[in-house]
Amino acid sequence: MQEATFMILTALASGSQHGYGIITDVQEISGGLLRLRPGTLYTALDRLRADELIGVDREEIVDGRLRRYYRLTPAGASRLGAEADRLQAHASAALTRLNLAAGTAT
Amino acid sequence: MTDQASLERGYRRLLACYPRAFRRQNGQEILAVLMACAPDGQRRPGLAESADLISSGLRMRLHPSVPRSARTVRAAVRLMYAGAAVSTANLIILLAYIGDIKAYDAVYAVLGRRLTAAQVSLLSHLNSQLNTALITQAVVLALVPVAVWLWMARANGQGRNWARSLSTVLFGLATLDLTGVYRTPGIQLEFVPTMLGATFPVLTWLAGLAVVWLLWRPASSAFFKPQGSTQARHSPQQPSRIRSPHALPPRSF
Repeated sequence: MQEATFMILTALASGSQHGYGIITDVQEISGGLLRLRPGTLYTALDRLRADELIGVDREEIVDGRLRRYYRLTPAGASRLGAEADRLQAHASAALTRLNLAAGTAT
Repeated sequence: MTDQASLERGYRRLLACYPRAFRRQNGQEILAVLMACAPDGQRRPGLAESADLISSGLRMRLHPSVPRSARTVRAAVRLMYAGAAVSTANLIILLAYIGDIKAYDAVYAVLGRRLTAAQVSLLSHLNSQLNTALITQAVVLALVPVAVWLWMARANGQGRNWARSLSTVLFGLATLDLTGVYRTPGIQLEFVPTMLGATFPVLTWLAGLAVVWLLWRPASSAFFKPQGSTQARHSPQQPSRIRSPHALPPRSF
């Protein structure tokens, strides 16, 4: 799973959000490191919708413009959970080995 | 024109890169996000943003998202892109050979007397073949398979049933062509080495065989919808809770 995809799913994990909300949320989650561009965001959203990992929650009109809210589907939640577990396992393996190396060095 | 209006016009122009069905469905929404992301006073789309919109739009046009559930179709679409890549390699090699023969011409001008009679006759034969019209014809004919592969990849990826049938017919023609029962109209350039001349058609034929097999698997049939409802995925999904009370007038981009 690409990082952008992972972050979009993460942004939707706690509730539905619209496109601009996802962009600002991803920026916040990543500590300002990942700023999604609208083109990239909508390519990813299109793909995620095709895979039925996300769905449209509701539509609103704000200032005469369409605002569409997306939410995670159950399939999306389980994919995100599996991916998060995998990343966590990798990260803790890395940290364990680094600690081991630090331990043998001293 | 205000800054906002001119910026919006710029974005609308860039959004034309996206497929029409996607634009109809998401154009307004992306535009709203683009405008929200733009700092005050910006008059025209930034360079990085423009590049992102253009590449995303073209990517979507060329490579429609096939759902993960339709694995066989995804594999077939990937193979068709591989077919396009092989055909492009074929075209590049053809151009390289033409370049080489043109270079022989220069070599002949310098070394004319030192070449053996056999070499001279081969060179003059090759050169006599290589007029501009023939080169153009050869290049155009080499471009056709690239275009056909890309076209079929896209149309099949969009779940169009006619594309599945047309791919099969094209594969049939390629089979006849390969076995020599029927020759597609075209020209055979003598100077392209026989090894390459035989390898590429066989490679692409094998890709075609796999594509046709994948496209007609039972798992693929669910993805191919009957004609007329091919845009089903891009038509508005029923929002689960609130439906917007005032429908937006369709706006053309």
